[in-house]
This record gives sequence, structure tokens and C-alpha cells, in this order.
Amino acid sequence: MASGGVQLSNPEELPIELLHGEMVCSGILGGKEDDPNELLSKLEFIGFSTGYRLIERLLKDSPRFKDELDTVKFICKDFWVALYKKQIDNLRTNHQGTYVLQDNSFKFLSKISATKQYLENGPKFLAYTCGIIRGALANLGIASVVIAETATMPSCRFHITIQRPS
Amino acid sequence: MTIHNLYIFDRQGTLVYYGEWNRKKPGTMSREEEGKLVYGMLFSLRSFLDKISPLDMNDNSFLYRTTKYKMNYWESPTGVKFLMNTDLNAPNIKELLRTIYQQVFVEYVVKNPVLAIGAYIDSELFIQKLDELIKSSLSYTSKV
Repeated sequence: MASGGVQLSNPEELPIELLHGEMVCSGILGGKEDDPNELLSKLEFIGFSTGYRLIERLLKDSPRFKDELDTVKFICKDFWVALYKKQIDNLRTNHQGTYVLQDNSFKFLSKISATKQYLENGPKFLAYTCGIIRGALANLGIASVVIAETATMPSCRFHITIQRPS
Repeated sequence: MTIHNLYIFDRQGTLVYYGEWNRKKPGTMSREEEGKLVYGMLFSLRSFLDKISPLDMNDNSFLYRTTKYKMNYWESPTGVKFLMNTDLNAPNIKELLRTIYQQVFVEYVVKNPVLAIGAYIDSELFIQKLDELIKSSLSYTSKV
């Protein structure tokens, strides 16, 4: 302890955490400063590609899913563990294609605030993950719209709405 | 025992945080003015100690005592400077400062992308975690 100090809890995750933070907060994604929606949609698209590819890798040894709910449960459990080392805390559904996933301590928000401070920054930190969920579902053949909201950091909710072919 | 206050400076010498717990004599200057004065003293003291030392010094910390209080200083390898005033009996403040750096500063300042580097820290989460750590430390709680 004299010269060592504490170990990083998850040293391999820190660069990803910092990279995500920079992606969100610095201007490297280009786009106009005065158009936050452009930033959000870019982050979402990067997330979509990430999720689309990631699910392929994660499912290589896994059996087929029974139904849609089974798929969403997989997202809440194994997929979330692979991404954020924890499971989704709460899953709710109306059984008509709407799912609400609640994470009480979302990783990208947990270092930022535990109150309403910086709340206006919330959506930027969730866009990438919305994209990941949408991408993962898309590669499983489920078209969806994913939006996220946060009322008090670090907890947040992801709303998944399945698009039915009409 | 008690902890009076804490100054955090970045490597450029900018005051990035000031916290106060038991300060009985309020300062007569603004926070910025006081920060500059404290940093000037630190800077001089450091180079003084370095030049006057009869032995090879390889330490990133030192302290001084008056008859009333003790000033403890610790610097991270990246140049973040922590200065904490305590009463004369407070033990192991160097370790406490190191813990503040590792468990609060790095976690809630460095890893918070919303905070600009070198700006004054106004994160409520940081302030809360720092307060918890200080108030649970032996130097703060024990009544000797």
C-alpha cells in the first residue's frame, strides 16, 4: 500500500468509458454546434452499427429465441452484462410491443451526477446506447424505435417500441 | 481532532476546488485571491525545501505546523496538488489526501466528461462524495 494504491476496478473498460465521454462532449463528430439533434442522430447511428455487429459476436453459441419477449429478456440480461457488467434493473411491457428497460445506475451517468445537476446533458449520454439496442434487435429481425429518458441521474429508462409490419 | 479546509490546485496552479469544514476564522479575501496566495506560498516553500535540503529529497509531500494548526501537502505525479489544514493531532493526512485523489478526484472529476479540464469543479456528486470521505475519516471523527 505504501506506493501501490488502489487497483482500477475494471481497467479494460476505462478507455471505452473515456472514449464515449469524448465522443459525446467534444466536437469530433463534426456537425454544427447549434444543432444538438445532429449529434444525437450520429451517436445513435454509431450505436446502431455497434449493436448490429456486437450481437452477432455474442450469439454465436446461443440457441434461437422463442419469441420477442425472450429476445428482450436476453437484451436485459446477457447483453447488458456484456456491455455494462450488470443486468437491467427493471423490465416492463404492455405485451403489445412496448418495453421499458430501467437501469438504476447507468454506467455513463454514474460519474456525472446523482441529482438534477447536468440533467440537460442526459440525452447525449444515452443516444449511443439507444442505438446499440436498436442495432441488436435489428439484427435479430425486429425493427424498433428506442428512446431514452432520465429524470434523476444516474438512473434512466429505455423505451423500446417494436415496429409491426402493417 | 478536526479538519479545517482543503484546497485543490491543478498543475498550472489554478484553484480548482476549495472545501471548508471547520474554519473558525473566516478568510478576509475572495476565494480566488486566497487561492493565489496559498499557491504562491506552496510554490515558494517547495522550491525552498528543494534547494535547502541537506539530503536528496524525493518526496511529493510535506507539512508544516504552527502552534494552532497543521498544513499537509500532497501532490500527484500529474501535478494535482492537495493542501489540507487540520488540527495538530490529526494523523495520516497524507494517506487521506491520496485516497481523496484516487477515490474521489479521479472517479468523479477525471471520469466526468461534462467537467472541463482545469475549470473550477462544481459537480454536486463530487462535493457529496468528498464530504462523505472526509466525514468518515479518523481525523474528522475522533474526539481526542
